Amino acid sequence: MLIFHLDPLATSLFSLLAILALVLSFVMLASHWLKNHIYAFAAESWTIAIISASIGYYGHYPELYIIAALTAIFRGTMLPYLVLRLIKRLNIQREFTPLLKPSSSMILGAVLVIFSYEVSRQLGATLHLTDNIAVLALTCMFSLKLIGFLMMILRSEAISHILGLLVIENGIFLGSQILVPGMPALLELVIIFDLLTIVMAFGMLVRLLQVHAGTTSSRDLQKLVG
Amino acid sequence: MLDDIVLQCGQILTVILLSPLLHGFIVTMEERVQRGQGPSIFQPYRDLWKLFHKTLLIPESASWVFFVAPVMAFTAMLIVPMLIPILTNFPLPLSDMGDILGGGLILTLGSFFIFLAGLDTGQPFGGLGSSRAVMLGILAEPTLILVFVGITFLDHSMLPFVANHLLAQHPVAYWSPAHIFLIFAFFILLTVETDRLPIHSNIPYEIYMIDEARILEYSGPLLALLKWASWMKQFILYTIFLNVFFFPWGLSTTGSFGSVLLALLIILGKYGAIGLIMVAVDTMQSRLRFYRYQEPLALSFLFAVLAIVADQL
Repeated sequence: MLIFHLDPLATSLFSLLAILALVLSFVMLASHWLKNHIYAFAAESWTIAIISASIGYYGHYPELYIIAALTAIFRGTMLPYLVLRLIKRLNIQREFTPLLKPSSSMILGAVLVIFSYEVSRQLGATLHLTDNIAVLALTCMFSLKLIGFLMMILRSEAISHILGLLVIENGIFLGSQILVPGMPALLELVIIFDLLTIVMAFGMLVRLLQVHAGTTSSRDLQKLVG
Repeated sequence: MLDDIVLQCGQILTVILLSPLLHGFIVTMEERVQRGQGPSIFQPYRDLWKLFHKTLLIPESASWVFFVAPVMAFTAMLIVPMLIPILTNFPLPLSDMGDILGGGLILTLGSFFIFLAGLDTGQPFGGLGSSRAVMLGILAEPTLILVFVGITFLDHSMLPFVANHLLAQHPVAYWSPAHIFLIFAFFILLTVETDRLPIHSNIPYEIYMIDEARILEYSGPLLALLKWASWMKQFILYTIFLNVFFFPWGLSTTGSFGSVLLALLIILGKYGAIGLIMVAVDTMQSRLRFYRYQEPLALSFLFAVLAIVADQL
C-alpha cells in the first residue's frame, strides 16, 4: 500500500483530485441529460489521468505517464465519443425514467459516501494504514462503485446502465492508481482495452434491442420471448 | 495603534455605512450588464433618506409585533459585526460573547422576526412570503450549520478569527479539499440567503416574491429599517464568506490607523469583486420552479457533507 512518502501539498493535491472525481460522479447522478453524463464521465477520466501522472511524478514511476496518456485517450476521449455516437443514433436526449428526483438521489449518494467512509475507516484501522490518503482513496473507490450501482438501479435506459458500469470501473481504476501504484503496466492496458470491448459490444446489443424490441428501457423488457 | 473599542465601533460603522453602497453597486452593475443605464450607486442612501422622512402608515390589524420586528432585525444585524473579523484579524472587545454558531443564531433571529411580521397583519401576501421563506429556511439552515461544523473541524475552534488565521497562514489548509468544498457549499448558501437567483428573483410579481412579500405592509421609517437590515445581512454574509472562508487576507493585523484604512480599501475591492460574481450569477441563470428549490440546496448539503468527510482524513 502506498509505498512512497508524500509531502503535505501533494497529499492535498491527491485528495482534491480524488474528491473531484467523486463530485463529477454526483453530476452524473443529479443530471438527467445523457450528454451531461458523458461530459462528466470524460472529465472524471481526465481527472484520473491527472492523478496517474502526478503519482508518476511524485513517486517516480515513469510507466505511469504512459498509463495516464492512455487513460486520457481511451477513457477520456474515445469511450465518451463512442457513447455519444450511440446516443445520437438511438435519438435519446435524456433519461425519462428515474425512480427518484435529482435532489433525493444526491442525498442518497451523500449517505453512500458516508457509509463508504465508515467502511474504509474500519478497513484502515484493521490494516494499520497510517496514511490518510489511502483511506481517502478507499472511500472514493467504494463511493464511486456504490454510486455506479445506484445509477444502474435508479435508471432503466440501457445507456445509463453502460454509464453506471463505466463509473464503477473508474472507481476501481482510481483506487488502484493510488493504493497500488506499482501495478504491472500490462494489467492496466488489459483493463483499458477490456472496457473498449465492453462498450462496443454493449453498443451493438443496444442497437439490436432497438431494432427488435423497439425499446432500450429495461422496465419494458420484462417478457421472455422464446 | 487605535484603541480596541474604537476599532470595534469602526467594524459596526463599516457595516452600517457600506452595506447600502454594496447593494447600490450590485444593482447598478446588473443594469450595466443588461445594457441599461442603472441608478447611481449611491441611490440606496437616497432611498433611506426619503423613507425616513415619510409618514408611517399602520394597518388596522397590526399588533406590537409589527413595530418590534424591524427594530429587532436591525439590532440583530448590529450585534453580528462584533463577532466576526471585518477590519481586524484579531478579536476585539466583546467579540468573544458568541462563537460562529452564535453569530448564525443571531442572524436567524432577525429573519425570524420578519417571518412573524409577515404573518402578523393577516394579509395574504405576508403569509405567502413567510411560508415560502420558512420552507427555504428549513432547507438552508441545516446546510449552514453543517458548513460551520465543517470549518470547526478544520480549525478545531468555534471562533471565526482562528479560521481566518489558519487559512491565511497555511496554504496546505487553504487548498485542502475540505476547505474548497466548504467554499462551494457556502457560496450556494450565499446566493440563497442574499436573495439571488436561481431561487430569489427581484422581479416584483407576487408569484415570484419571497422576501418582498413579507414586508409589503411596511412604509416609512420602519420599511427603511427593514431594507437597511437586509442590506446589512448581505454585507455580513459577504464578510463571513470572504474573511472566514474565501479570502482571509487583507485585514489589519496591528490595528494601526494606516492598516485599518488599507483594510477598508481592500474591503471595497474584494466585496466589489464578489458583487460582480453575484451579478454574473443573476444574469446568467433563470429562476427555478418552486418544486426544484431543493436542488441547489441539496448540492450545497452534499458539498458540506463531502467537506466533513474529507476533513476526517
